[in-house]
Amino acid sequence: MKYMLMMNTMRAGQSLDWPKKDIEAMIAFMMNFNKELRASGELIAAEGLSFPDQAKVVRAGANGEPITDGVFPESKEFLAGYWIVDVETPERAYEIAAKASACPGPGGKPLNMPIEVRPIPVMSGPPPEMP
Amino acid sequence: MKMAARSAKGATLMKYMLLMNNMTRSDVYAGVSGWQQQDIDVHIEFMKSVTSSLRQSGELLSTEGLEVPDHAVVVRAGKNGEPVTDGVFPEAKEFLAGYWIVEVADAERAYQIAAHASSAPGPGGAPLNMPIEVRRIARPATGGEVNLT
Repeated sequence: MKYMLMMNTMRAGQSLDWPKKDIEAMIAFMMNFNKELRASGELIAAEGLSFPDQAKVVRAGANGEPITDGVFPESKEFLAGYWIVDVETPERAYEIAAKASACPGPGGKPLNMPIEVRPIPVMSGPPPEMP
Repeated sequence: MKMAARSAKGATLMKYMLLMNNMTRSDVYAGVSGWQQQDIDVHIEFMKSVTSSLRQSGELLSTEGLEVPDHAVVVRAGKNGEPVTDGVFPEAKEFLAGYWIVEVADAERAYQIAAHASSAPGPGGAPLNMPIEVRRIARPATGGEVNLT
């Protein structure tokens, strides 16, 4: 079963103002984490996204032209990155998510950040459920 | 380090993620339930055509649709690193319904694709003009692709 593990941890206006050493430790953790998932054959994809200051929301205008907006409420959650894993059980997906959750933060302390875990339907392509 | 991809004209291509994530749980369920089957079919056909035209132009890197929020769980590491799961979400929480990752020459092209997806037909075939969040995939300052995998 495929699951998407999402770090919805960024907020509008946020940047990563940690000491360089802590950022390096976080990146090393993430690279090692991904290496392990790849070695176990469970990793399908992983990406990190740029900060929300570059994010835009786009809507089609009256003639289908793009209308962009870059003003967001501070409470808006932004995706910081994600993994797609292929695992036997949801419990295994949760285990992997817990490991990502414990990524080291400032001072090397585990962040214990929330990771949203969602199944990907077997016949995924364009999303079937839309408003 | 992986070299950045280039277009036929030699321009460096950039990766963007187009997210359908501006819906809360109640939007998701209120949404589809009120639609006629014919409108749902037309909508799905449109979404399939978005994907196939992006595949044809060579701009599509990946696309996925996610299960409805009923199946969502938030996981945190507990004291000993064990998974602590929670499935209770605030009403205002936005859920990702699906996404596309495209590789394009510039941001404007990504916005154009997003606007096209935004205009997907809704009830009665009228364009939904739904919001699509466009985010650049991160790259390090060196200009190479971030490839955490």
